[in-house]
Amino acid sequence: MEFFSQNLLTILLLLPVFGAVGIVLHQMFWKQEEQLKWLTFGITLVNFVISIPLIFGTKTAGFSFEVNKVWIAAINSNYHIAVDGLSLWLVILTTFIMPIAVLSTWNAVEKRPTAFYAFLLLLEAAMIGVFVSLDLLVFYLFFEASLVPMFFLIGIWGGENRIYAAVKFFIFTALGSLLMLAAIIGLYYMHAEQTGIGTFDFVTMMRSLELGQLAIAGTAGTLMFWAFALAFSIKVPLFPFHTWLPDAHTEAPTAGSVILAAVLLKMGTYGLMRFNFALFPDQSREWAWLFIVLAIVGIIYGALVAMVQPDVKRLVAYSSVAHMGFVILGMFSFTEWGMQGALYQMLNHGVSTGALFLLVGFIYERRHTRAISDFGGLANVMPLYATIFVITAMSSVGLPFLNGFVGEFLIMLGMWKSTILGVTATTNWNYVATMLAGTGVIFAAVYLLWMIQRVFFGKVTNDKNKKLTDLSTREIGLIAPLMFLMVFMGVYPRPFLDAAKDSVNAIQKRVMHQAGGDVDHAERNADLSPQTAVKDAN
Amino acid sequence: MNTFFLTELVTPDPNVRIILPELVVAAAGIIVMLYDSFFPKDRVTSGIISLVGLAVSAFLLVGLWSSEPLGSTSWNGMIAHDNLRLGFSIVFLIVTAMTVLISTVWVEREDVPVGEYNALLLFATFGMMLMASGNDLVVIFLGLETLSIATYVMAGLRRGDLKSNESAMKYFILGSFASAFLLYGMALIYGATGSTNLTVIAEKVVNPNFPALLLIGGAMMVVGFGFKVAAAPFHVWTPDVYEGAPAPVTGFMAAGPKAAAFASFIRVFVLGFPFIAGVAASNYLHETWMTVLAVMAMLSMTVGNVAAIMQNNVKRMLAYSSIAHAGYALVGFLGAGAANRGSSQDAAIASVAFYMLTYAVTNLGAFAVISLLAQKNDRRSDFEDFNGIGFKSPVLSFTLSLFMLSLLGLPLTAGFMGKILVFRPALEAGSTLLVVLVIVAVINTAISAYYYLRMIVVMFFKERVTEWVEPKMPIGLAVALLVAVVGVLYLGLFAGGVIEKFSQSRSGYEAQLK
Repeated sequence: MEFFSQNLLTILLLLPVFGAVGIVLHQMFWKQEEQLKWLTFGITLVNFVISIPLIFGTKTAGFSFEVNKVWIAAINSNYHIAVDGLSLWLVILTTFIMPIAVLSTWNAVEKRPTAFYAFLLLLEAAMIGVFVSLDLLVFYLFFEASLVPMFFLIGIWGGENRIYAAVKFFIFTALGSLLMLAAIIGLYYMHAEQTGIGTFDFVTMMRSLELGQLAIAGTAGTLMFWAFALAFSIKVPLFPFHTWLPDAHTEAPTAGSVILAAVLLKMGTYGLMRFNFALFPDQSREWAWLFIVLAIVGIIYGALVAMVQPDVKRLVAYSSVAHMGFVILGMFSFTEWGMQGALYQMLNHGVSTGALFLLVGFIYERRHTRAISDFGGLANVMPLYATIFVITAMSSVGLPFLNGFVGEFLIMLGMWKSTILGVTATTNWNYVATMLAGTGVIFAAVYLLWMIQRVFFGKVTNDKNKKLTDLSTREIGLIAPLMFLMVFMGVYPRPFLDAAKDSVNAIQKRVMHQAGGDVDHAERNADLSPQTAVKDAN
Repeated sequence: MNTFFLTELVTPDPNVRIILPELVVAAAGIIVMLYDSFFPKDRVTSGIISLVGLAVSAFLLVGLWSSEPLGSTSWNGMIAHDNLRLGFSIVFLIVTAMTVLISTVWVEREDVPVGEYNALLLFATFGMMLMASGNDLVVIFLGLETLSIATYVMAGLRRGDLKSNESAMKYFILGSFASAFLLYGMALIYGATGSTNLTVIAEKVVNPNFPALLLIGGAMMVVGFGFKVAAAPFHVWTPDVYEGAPAPVTGFMAAGPKAAAFASFIRVFVLGFPFIAGVAASNYLHETWMTVLAVMAMLSMTVGNVAAIMQNNVKRMLAYSSIAHAGYALVGFLGAGAANRGSSQDAAIASVAFYMLTYAVTNLGAFAVISLLAQKNDRRSDFEDFNGIGFKSPVLSFTLSLFMLSLLGLPLTAGFMGKILVFRPALEAGSTLLVVLVIVAVINTAISAYYYLRMIVVMFFKERVTEWVEPKMPIGLAVALLVAVVGVLYLGLFAGGVIEKFSQSRSGYEAQLK
């Protein structure tokens, strides 16, 4: 048991990898394609089950389940992994969504199933790795490694335009993360220069920052901040970098879209919160206005573009852009509520948008089309499907008592209370930002409800839709846990928020206050900080 | 100095032990040649003799690494014994051994005179090892010519093929031209410093007889070495030569001779033209060559990657990619030039050697798959010929994909570790020029994703319209592929030991530079 709890994260990481190797070998020797999905489902389910102790074992403050072993001594890089309140739920979200994603592919994968399931499993390992690594180089390694399986998933099993989408997805994300790699090496030497020891270790860096031995400032600091921020903004995706997302989502197979929406996008927001805020608090505050502006543009733009999409999947993809805008907004409010809400909204988005992609997948499997105009009156032939779809859409819109509401409400509350944007005699820009973001909720209701009206209500207009069968037991089984979560997270968010509270607060304190440092440095930054602006205004 | 012509007769310092690895390789080459004249049909034994020779040499080399004090010289200062030599020599031996194994496929298919071919390979290796260990301009030139002449012949081994002839001819004429530049540069350096010994030159740059000669000589050597490492703007020969030469030879040329040229290039410039604080002549020289090489590095990366995007032939694509990789290696090289501590300099030099190792293993692996798939005369080496073979030959396609990802520098592969290591010294030095250089390199890596992924796209995402016959894999090639795959993953995941060995600093060197 001791061994198990000490190496829990390593087991979580390695089980899918060995699983992938295992199913490839299994196919080579036994060639039982029928058993593949069962095997993969089993592996992901086991991984979910063994990730549950994380929930109970994670301390509220600091890192738990920590492993720190030398990886490459020559460059002082360590295999340092752990979870805290910030990463815990994201790891659980990953292990939770994987069996559902596998279950959703039950009858959908005809081409090369071995490779498909192997890539899914490798993707799971890479995603978990991103959320648990505390060594910047190891983090980068998983961050990049997650690209390859997804690239193959989109490229081989995707829709018509899959090659374009896959390559675009890869190159967009790779460009950002490569700049981050340069910044990571830059940090290594910055640490070496100021403290005498070069390190990639995030915890060591934080300690040096807190002790005032390390100051990440000046042009180099700004450049590194932007390198990190760019990598994560592309992944999120923040407004001007979002163009890869609709293509990737639309072309990816259902399981791919679900994982992309539920987990891959969270790598960006997680990275911003974990690394940008903690390592570059000054720069984060200085540039928060820009992120807030882009987030609001994303919320409104994403919603408006979603409204006119003829394809249901593309519509959901654009709604992702809007939702992730909310997450960014909450994070950059730098208030406890806003940041908690952002973290909560990450999970919500994973659950509800993941569910929406699953639902779109169900109908696509039946009709092999996703165009809104091909449907109409589906509620008459598939009542259960229609009900579930409407509930999921409501959760995405943010109806009270469903999960989306809690997240969006907290974010807006946080932004309203925030002091990050300037306050002039006539205008409090934080209020303006909140109000603008609030319109996004209205738009979200508009595009989703309008789509639902066109697809589900009225008479059955297309003869091909008359004989559609309602959801099968498997489909109900895989959507049910998500429905349960939507309601549970909407009614009783406390366990999630409590577990994350201390970690989020630590980050919030770090961003809003000076951590050590020489007096000059603190003073110079105090001039720039928003609190001064508030004081001046008062 | 009346002793200029009548130098006192020095007692020779014939420390044979130190050049034993080189001698073993040369001897193995001679034995292969002799054996071939008696048993011209016996391909297997000839290959085995070569491999044994290389293995013995590697064994001796590793022995020397720990037994002989690093940083010493012998043969009256002509042979240097340091990590630069040892690291690069190991790379050469691995390259040649893998090339011998990979060549089994085309040697059989096209009935190549195998004894000659293997002997040429071994002589080329001998030349490369001399280039890495030569601490004297004359020895470096000797090594370079031994290497070049052997590779000129190898490029043209496909006698009936026009492209191969073109390749050999171009390589020969342009290569001789570049050698001439190099030799002239050496002569001018000799004129400026009065010595061909690099240790002496490094001391004399403080006060050269004729500073302008030093600069002109350095410039000419940049041309000569720039040609050999295929760095822009001296890269124009590369695509034609690489496309025309038989695939295994191309793989060898991209991995071995390029690394050898880097070894000498580094030794002459980083160790021969050092930065000495407060001395105008050496500072000027140092600053000039650093700037020139930085520009060359940026050009190589950009030209190589942008041109590679537009290629339709896989071998040409890899030729341009090798130009880009010369650019990345130059980043580490410049890091070594800018290092202000002995240990950082050693680490930077080691990073270039390590980079060439990762590149060699990956690139040779890629060429192994390509020579197998391309069939006789490499006629199937266009991208289209690889359409949709992904799941028809899954083993070959997935290994080739792995090599492409490693060339791209994705984590978990050798290419990633290589890139990290060469970027490190450049960022450590902290000069603006080098930071810009690293950013250019990073953006270029993203550009290169396009054409490396294209290979994967073609193999896996497209459908095959024509028939596909899976080629038979000879044992030798299978072994080489296995070595390459294991090497790529090992160097990507557990490179620690290798890096440490490569960058072991000589004792007491720390103080020396300061």
